[in-house]
Amino acid sequence: MDSEDDMHDANDDDYYYSSDTAVEYSDEDDGGDDDGDYGCDHIEDSDESNRQPNYIALKEADIRQHQENEITTLSTVLSVSRADASILLRHHRWSVINVHEVWYADEEGVRKAVGLLESPVVQFPNAQEPTCGICFESSPLDGISSAACGHPFCDECWRAYMSTSINGGPGCLMLRCPDPSCGAAIGQDMIDRLVSEEDKERYARYLVRSYIEDNPKTKWCPGPGCEYAVEFFVGNENCDVSCLCSHGFCWNCTEEAHRPVDCGTVAKWIMKNNAESENTDWLLANSKPCPKCKRPIEKNNGCMHMTCTYPCKFGFCWLCLGAWSDHGERTGGFYACNGYEAAKQEGVYDEAERRRERAKMSVERYTHYYERWATNHSSRQKAIADLHQMQTVNLKELSVKQSQPETKLEFVMKAWLQIVECRRVLKWTYAYGYYLPEPEHAKRQLFEYLQGEAEAGLERLHQCAEKDLQAYLGPEPPPTDFNDFRSKLAGLTSVTRTYFENLVRALENGLSDVDSQATAKIGQAGKGKGGGGYSDYHGSWTCDQCTYFNTISLPTCEMCLQPRHNA
Amino acid sequence: MVFIVRYVVRLKPKPVGDFLLCVGTAPGISASPSEENMRYFNVMILGPSQSPYEGGVFKLELFLPEEYPMAAPKVRFLTKIYHPNIDKLGRICLDILKDKWSPALQIRTVLLSIQALLSAPNPDDPLSENVAKHWKTNEAEAVETAKEWTQLYASGT
Repeated sequence: MDSEDDMHDANDDDYYYSSDTAVEYSDEDDGGDDDGDYGCDHIEDSDESNRQPNYIALKEADIRQHQENEITTLSTVLSVSRADASILLRHHRWSVINVHEVWYADEEGVRKAVGLLESPVVQFPNAQEPTCGICFESSPLDGISSAACGHPFCDECWRAYMSTSINGGPGCLMLRCPDPSCGAAIGQDMIDRLVSEEDKERYARYLVRSYIEDNPKTKWCPGPGCEYAVEFFVGNENCDVSCLCSHGFCWNCTEEAHRPVDCGTVAKWIMKNNAESENTDWLLANSKPCPKCKRPIEKNNGCMHMTCTYPCKFGFCWLCLGAWSDHGERTGGFYACNGYEAAKQEGVYDEAERRRERAKMSVERYTHYYERWATNHSSRQKAIADLHQMQTVNLKELSVKQSQPETKLEFVMKAWLQIVECRRVLKWTYAYGYYLPEPEHAKRQLFEYLQGEAEAGLERLHQCAEKDLQAYLGPEPPPTDFNDFRSKLAGLTSVTRTYFENLVRALENGLSDVDSQATAKIGQAGKGKGGGGYSDYHGSWTCDQCTYFNTISLPTCEMCLQPRHNA
Repeated sequence: MVFIVRYVVRLKPKPVGDFLLCVGTAPGISASPSEENMRYFNVMILGPSQSPYEGGVFKLELFLPEEYPMAAPKVRFLTKIYHPNIDKLGRICLDILKDKWSPALQIRTVLLSIQALLSAPNPDDPLSENVAKHWKTNEAEAVETAKEWTQLYASGT
């Protein structure tokens, strides 16, 4: 395992540097919420993209506060009511700058478009008991309301009108006067004055949602059950954000965080995982259509005499797909088919056979990558659960057992957070590998080497955080001093983090610009272990007789028992 | 019972001529509530003059849902009609019956709008794809068909 040693050598500096800083971390973070800061907390080499998180996570109170502030500012600057300012912002995707721009360019036009009237369009009725425009009943003046336009409706009809709209969805934020020819906007002040508490709350909720959903700078965290939002500052290419709920997602596509793979590939991969096309490929690769009824048939064992199921019941030969009634001694017995052999010589079956093989290759290739992607996914879920267990139970035990304050044990949490993050990266490298063009042999080799190293490095860290730690929790006296364990784990965390950061960068650069020390030695290492590489596949052989793909170790075909010809 | 007040005030039917009832000041439109269900109206609209529907008497049904007037009334042609915005089940594509409904609208305004739709078909926003296509490719022929249908189904006999 010379390559592993390389990795250690290359990162020795980091190793010590980081074990020093482990203490600092705990000081920084004490009392703080540790969930949100992994991935952007530390840095040894100057990695600018990671130094400052380019986003902030917002809790509901923060959201309301931000919204209030913007409304207040705008209402002051434009000298309009808060309700009007809110309407203006809603129509301009909550961008104060946009509102300023259009307002100062064409105030009248903006007022007209959003329905902010400066003076009533109709005279408010002078009568003692004006008639409501909806129910046509007369009401005393104090039971009649109107928006800025002056169209009078009784409060009861207003309430029903607003309530219907609020219950109809977020469209209520754009509510206008009921008069069909009038476009006067209805503001929150009027809503709050007239509707029930429940509707008021619902309306306020839509207003908050609008602030997040209509605003290009903010998005809800897509994490299950999460109610936080994330505000993103453009100007940085790193789109991975991490919510306070610890869910990490990609700002661009809101799928889970997927660096180093780009959004397009992720979309393709996810689509592929859901698509039916794999089934079709499988059918094509592993079945032949019944020559009579065309139903796909899989041959899983037995002789070449196939009998289709009810109602077709056609008997045929698996090899030549001819009627079984023509077979027997004449064609060379029940396990062979001269007709097939002869025709194969003439190349009759070649096209269909080749297609079948290609499909089989493709489905096996996909399965290979998918399995590893899915395994890393579930490993990550497990690691998240372990992390939680560590946080809530084990850390306290450890603190008591080793007589260390919990703040001094932060390095354990750092290790687990790193494991979770690495599993995520590793998982996506399999989607990356699947879409790496086959002909680029050198790149593929490099990729598989890097992936293998990453996997090995992560295993070491995982082992240390999981197994080695147990020794300090159990009743037995631990094999080494706790401080040694601390520097080992903190060191491994740091090494692994650096390695994965380099890996992510290398993959993001399309493996063209591999400059880090960890990867510089690849050239000499040459024959990488190939982590989860697919090259093994090329070691299989195809049976001349039945075209089945056999593993390299088998001397005879698993399917038809023919010996391997050109072994 | 808000809706009753509404239509008593604005829709009180007055008999005019032989079988025509006039709604408010709208000529050629009648609406009378069914005896079993006060929310259900039998409506008749005369085909507007200078339209392919001239001379036709079109029957419609109009139903006031529970939420009326906060929700739009449901209106449907019972008489077959060849029109790009009306499908073969008699459903009508009209904005004020859907998203543009306002509680300040009345049965009378709705029926007037439907009558106006007969005068001015809008094949660009079709409900019946085939009829609309016909209308756009060969309007003269489509109008001819509409006239034939009016003769055939809406002649009032």
